[in-house]
Amino acid sequence: MKILSVLLRIEVLKAVKRKVFWVAVGAFVVFATIPTVEGVRNTRRNPNLAYALPESWPDILGTAAMGPGPFFVAVLMILLCAPEFSWRTGRQNVIDGLSKERLYAGKAIVLAGLILFFIATPVLIGVGGTLFSPSEGGPAVIRSTDLSYMGGLALILLFFGSASLLLSALLRSSGPALGVFFLCLIAEEAVTGLMWRTGERLRAATQYLPFNVLEALGDDLVHYPEELAKVNTELAERGSGPWEFLDLEVLAIAALTYSSIFLAISFLSMRKRDL
Amino acid sequence: MHIIQTSDLTKRYGTHVGKSVLAVDRISFTVEEGQVFGFLGPNGSGKTTTIGMLLGIINPTGGAFSLFGASDPKGLLAARSRVGATLETPNFYPYMNGRDNLRIAAAIKGVGRCRIEECLELVGLAGRAKDCFKTYSLGMKQRLALAATMLNDPELIILDEPANGLDPQGMREIREIIGILASRGKTIFLSSHLLWEVERTCSHVAIVRKGRIVTMGKVKEVVSEGTSVLLRAADRTTLAGAMERYPEVTSVRCTDDGIVVGLSSGDLASVTRYLAGQGIYLSYLAPHRQSLEEVFIDLTQDNADSMTKIAS
Ligand SMILES: Nc1ncnc2c1ncn2[C@@H]1O[C@H](COP(=O)(O)OP(=O)(O)OP(=O)(O)O)[C@@H](O)[C@H]1O
Ligand SMILES: [Mg+2]
Repeated sequence: MKILSVLLRIEVLKAVKRKVFWVAVGAFVVFATIPTVEGVRNTRRNPNLAYALPESWPDILGTAAMGPGPFFVAVLMILLCAPEFSWRTGRQNVIDGLSKERLYAGKAIVLAGLILFFIATPVLIGVGGTLFSPSEGGPAVIRSTDLSYMGGLALILLFFGSASLLLSALLRSSGPALGVFFLCLIAEEAVTGLMWRTGERLRAATQYLPFNVLEALGDDLVHYPEELAKVNTELAERGSGPWEFLDLEVLAIAALTYSSIFLAISFLSMRKRDL
Repeated sequence: MHIIQTSDLTKRYGTHVGKSVLAVDRISFTVEEGQVFGFLGPNGSGKTTTIGMLLGIINPTGGAFSLFGASDPKGLLAARSRVGATLETPNFYPYMNGRDNLRIAAAIKGVGRCRIEECLELVGLAGRAKDCFKTYSLGMKQRLALAATMLNDPELIILDEPANGLDPQGMREIREIIGILASRGKTIFLSSHLLWEVERTCSHVAIVRKGRIVTMGKVKEVVSEGTSVLLRAADRTTLAGAMERYPEVTSVRCTDDGIVVGLSSGDLASVTRYLAGQGIYLSYLAPHRQSLEEVFIDLTQDNADSMTKIAS
């Protein structure tokens, strides 16, 4: 227990003294505030556009999941992990008495902290916004569907964070890690496009590709079946086929599997390689 | 008690057969409590690699070692809390000030704030502790590293080239700090290629070359191994040439003072008889105390320099 508090303390100290950390946090808070301010202003002008809980959860969480949040988690994770190798401070931490495993545990704590922060911030800002909004919401403040969407958001952030930890552990320098991260984003698009054009079977497989899984997990229609039903009825009226997603459980397991693989490889690499 | 013990400790970097480097080759040594142990060797001889293995940041590829008698991972982790160490360059967070950097080390070592101030004071950095680490000079960085090693009042202090980048004043301070720590009964293990530094501060020494220990023991014993004499004669070149051919000679070196000759036996009378037989008459003959530097050069040179090369 004591070691966890030590790890938390040193990782917090390392982060809060870093300027780029506050720049990223500040920028994200601004990003997260704009849609809320917008929502509250709209409902003041037009009472039909309600901004209240629980009805506004899909908007609040949608902004968090599909907005810049995951990228901020990835970039911050790389900036807080990779330089430990290039500055050789991770080496010094181990010399000072952390084991390599504990150094890794410290980074896992950073990951957990970033995920919490990047969920809590938009949620708090969104909930804060509803206090300034005149509209009245339904009886429950939060529904199980909202919690499911929140879980989806957590899985998306976990994926981006663990991928960044992996890149940091393998490349050991923030420049190359960031470079490869953005290359992966581009490559993913290209691969999906290619598989989509190649044939029916591969087209089905694209659904399991990391970024498609994440896109689905971040889509409110996956988490709110009534909404999906509504959309599909409209589509049917217009004569188009319905939207279809993989089951939520399948999506969650796929995302968790990817993240676990990333975390496991980074752990093994960190333990096996010389610092 | 054995503070450090290694047996056949080995490190090979890389796995490609052609490209791999055997940095440390079956090194075995023991450091006892209270010793000031100098680990001497030329560049690239494997000093940093050996220390890195002791500190758990480089995985050995062979052999074993123990710290304070512990050799299992859990025991080693506990033993390392009794160690203070620096390795190669001082490694700190460049964007943090000196004090905050020490706060991180102190948190890991589980020591309080007042100890940070004490250590800053001890290395003479108290006045600059608020400044960003990246603005420090190399000597100041070294001092901060030394402060970090002493935070937990360690029983074993491992320093890799502690005098690197320090001015003469700083070197003397390091020597004084080492002296104070040694007098308090701490065990000190330091690597260096500053020979006079080691000769003055260390009680024991191991000399490494290409990853292997070539000699080891008390500094006094290593320095006085064999007999060494200083010779002068009218014609230096013929004197040196004649001594090269002398059967009991181990080394011949030309100095400003004369010719320094290492002998495997202490029989000086037969030396004078031999030289007289060659028509060379000595103007001076005296026992010569080798410095550690001379021992070091003798032992770590690829081929003992031939006389012709020195004379030319
Ligand atoms: N990470 C590495 N990968 C490959 N080879 C390495 C690595 N680190 C060190 N070496 C090699 O291992 C050998 C020993 O290096 P080491 O740094 O231990 O020497 P040293 O005695 O500390 O030298 P110096 O006095 O210059 O500090 C050298 O040949 C070096 O090139
Ligand atoms: Mg070295």
